[in-house]
Amino acid sequence: MKAWFRLLRLDTLRLTRSTGVAVAVVLFLAIGIYAAWRGGRNIEAAASSAVAAETAYQDQLEYLLASYPPTTDAGEVLYYLAFPAPQPSLRLAALARGRTEVESASLRIRLLALEGQLYEHETVNPTLAAAGDLDLAFLLIGLLPLFIIALTHDLVSSEREGGTWNLVRLFARRRRLLAPKLAARAILVGVVVAVPVAVVAALAGFRLDGRAAWAVALVALHTLFWFALCLGVASGRRSSTANAMILVGTWVALTLLAPAALSLANAILHPVPEALELTVRQRQGYHEAWDLSKAETMEVFYEDYPEWSDRTVPEDVFTWAWYYAMNHRGDQAARDASRAYRDVLREREDWARTWSLLVPPLAAQLTLDRLAATDLGAQLAYQDAVRRHHERLKNHFYPLFFDTAPIDAVEWDRVPDFEPAAREESPVRAGFPAAAALVLASILALAAGLRSSAPRAD
Amino acid sequence: MGLRNALLVARRQVGAVREDRYVVFLLGLVIALGVVAVLGARHHAASEAEQRARYQAMVERQWVEQPDRHPHRVIHYGFLVFREEAPLAFFDPGVGAWAGTSLFLEGHRQNTANFGEARHATGMLRFGRLTPAAVLSLLLPLFVVVAGFASVSAERERGTLRLLLAQGATPAQILAGKVLGTGAVAALAALPVGLATVAIAGSGAVGPVSAGRVAGLAAIYAAYLAGWVLVTVLASSFRASSRSALALLIAVWVALCVAAPRLGASVAGALHPLPSRAEFTHQVELAMNEVGDSHNPQDPFFRALRDEYLARYEVASVEELPVNWGGVVSREGEAISSRIQEEQQRDLVEGQRRQDRVLSWTGLISPYLAARDLSMAVSGTGPEAVEAFRAQAEAHRYDIIQRLNDLHINEIRYENDRAQRLSREHWAEFPTFGTRPPPVGGTLAARSLSLSALTLWILLPLLGLGLARGRLARVGVERSGS
Repeated sequence: MKAWFRLLRLDTLRLTRSTGVAVAVVLFLAIGIYAAWRGGRNIEAAASSAVAAETAYQDQLEYLLASYPPTTDAGEVLYYLAFPAPQPSLRLAALARGRTEVESASLRIRLLALEGQLYEHETVNPTLAAAGDLDLAFLLIGLLPLFIIALTHDLVSSEREGGTWNLVRLFARRRRLLAPKLAARAILVGVVVAVPVAVVAALAGFRLDGRAAWAVALVALHTLFWFALCLGVASGRRSSTANAMILVGTWVALTLLAPAALSLANAILHPVPEALELTVRQRQGYHEAWDLSKAETMEVFYEDYPEWSDRTVPEDVFTWAWYYAMNHRGDQAARDASRAYRDVLREREDWARTWSLLVPPLAAQLTLDRLAATDLGAQLAYQDAVRRHHERLKNHFYPLFFDTAPIDAVEWDRVPDFEPAAREESPVRAGFPAAAALVLASILALAAGLRSSAPRAD
Repeated sequence: MGLRNALLVARRQVGAVREDRYVVFLLGLVIALGVVAVLGARHHAASEAEQRARYQAMVERQWVEQPDRHPHRVIHYGFLVFREEAPLAFFDPGVGAWAGTSLFLEGHRQNTANFGEARHATGMLRFGRLTPAAVLSLLLPLFVVVAGFASVSAERERGTLRLLLAQGATPAQILAGKVLGTGAVAALAALPVGLATVAIAGSGAVGPVSAGRVAGLAAIYAAYLAGWVLVTVLASSFRASSRSALALLIAVWVALCVAAPRLGASVAGALHPLPSRAEFTHQVELAMNEVGDSHNPQDPFFRALRDEYLARYEVASVEELPVNWGGVVSREGEAISSRIQEEQQRDLVEGQRRQDRVLSWTGLISPYLAARDLSMAVSGTGPEAVEAFRAQAEAHRYDIIQRLNDLHINEIRYENDRAQRLSREHWAEFPTFGTRPPPVGGTLAARSLSLSALTLWILLPLLGLGLARGRLARVGVERSGS
């Protein structure tokens, strides 16, 4: 045992004294800490965006109440008012940013037709988004494997090429020789993973709850997969160069090609014409109503709100009740297309989740996004929460419109607050399939590698 | 004589590559991927374009088929426009996926374009896209590395470098030959993607593509890949072993093609943060509240405007004006709100351009970014194309809305204003929308940084090879002596 630790110390020293390794460690740690800092900043930015939505609402309300006489119809003032619908982000989003760069989680919703407002997105700069984003998840899932490959591809071959392998083999069994070497590398990799993760946890303030524990476990399992793969390839009799080419080739295939090919296939298999369809229909459904009799519009409105069917509107004058019913008609017209749109997106998400299980980096990345609630599924859940909020607002204000109440009559502090989407999915449910896939992939990679190398004598 | 030696070495290098089963396998893989990328991207782009054209036609028909309507009703009915992608978007989609596709143009407010392709994508998109441009800019360099990392070092390790020198080949001829040989293999790998792209562009199926743009793309990728060939041979000539040359080159590839673009984009975002959507709309509202609201008759700005009109026409009330006062208010309100929103929007776009400039500077380190930047400029899929669409759509919006306001002013009587309708014949007189893409000359001229970066990408390794030429012989002698 003592000898084992001496070998471990020796290997660790040998590793850290190599200039290439030292440079890689320093670079990796530097980028890791930077990415962790950015993750913390992104969380702050999301929080200040939520505050902005709230402040904008207060400012707008104050302005409207000051510029309209108190006898103005409530419906007229409410036409302008945008209600905040901020979804707080999980702290874990600092680790896996997912789609938050593109999607707004602080929508501002007016009482008008919802389908025209629900798909606003962030003020993203397309150039930066196209260049790709660097969050800690990408560093740990995308780039860390290359560091592991650099450290382990020549585990055996370097000794053999240096002529020392046969010598050391005289004194110990293969496994006893490899174990301390592997352990030394695992320690080094552990350090470059643990430091940025600790920094991001401290900066974003997330505790090691179920989600975070699963996220850390997935990163660990994904790292394990690459160690297994590298060990499998490195224990063969190939040269260091051949090992490096095989491993980097595998990395390119798993980290760049497979995701890109699957993305393209997903887009081709599940087209989304509904996005444009629902826009066209919503607009048409609302505007057509201007040319119909008011009773016709109200009739379809009562289909969805039978509780108000006894509140009729006059045919010859403009009423806000009718105006908002026309808006509702727009949403009604877009309803099927909107549902179909969500269905296609869910299909895309399910398809991606299933196929990603075959590609370890994808499985890990998509699951991290899912745990951090920054994936497409979380975005759809947020949109549903906004839908429910819009509905609550309508239920709250419609009685005022039917009564042609003035703004005076609005009790502003009783306006319903936004109820964020619940993150109900248990972390086990989200994390388990990918974890199982990663364990299986690790076993397969190791077994395949060792089988091809084991029977031969060294 | 010199050329003949170089060509002999080049042929030798091609032969070495042909014997390497691994490299031949990769060559097949790269070619297959390239062709799949061209076909897949073409299919996808075609179906997207077909969708947009279908809905654009539907929207235009709906516009013309509107019944008799009050012009202000039509102002709110508005117009939907869809962003057309450039014909070469199938080759290099550029930033298009992250920009909105459909934009609703209406009175009083500037909307943002929604439904970009990235909004419909899953988290997989994070790892990149399989497009012909990505195959050429991301994968081919790695193939060049694999095909050329041993070009000089293997000769040295086998002792054949000494033989070549002894047979009278100069170090310069050997290096030139290695560059030519590796370049030939790289060209072979890139050719199918290039030919497939030219065939599709030339067929006219994607829309008119000028030969100049195709030639520009060919030049950009030829220069970019030539730089990789030079760097690869350079590393192979000065590193002590093939193994360390490969390690160095792979590290360079990861740093330049995978890490630098993301790091650059992240730093650009950190240096010049944009307001979030909620913050931006809040800013716009605050600016709008300061000047007044055309829908609100109590607003002080519009009271002053009314007094001015009454004085100009020497009448006592707006009812007596020869024009429709309601329409005038609407037109003036539109002019003011458009100006304010456009100012805010320009600030936002300016913020994005500041971020872009940080990324352009990163291009000096990462030729991948520089090549991408130039490639999307020539393909017509860069940020300026997105901005051109936005600006042109806004101009179109403003034009249509003010025409409608003029109809309101001149064709609708003030008395009982909202009860009147305008004959539907008017709707057919409105112009339809079409994007005019920015000219390629201007977009290239604005990218001097990327052009210089690509030039440096060739010149610096050439300089390095010039210096390595002297060492090549020495290293050879040292090796043989040891």
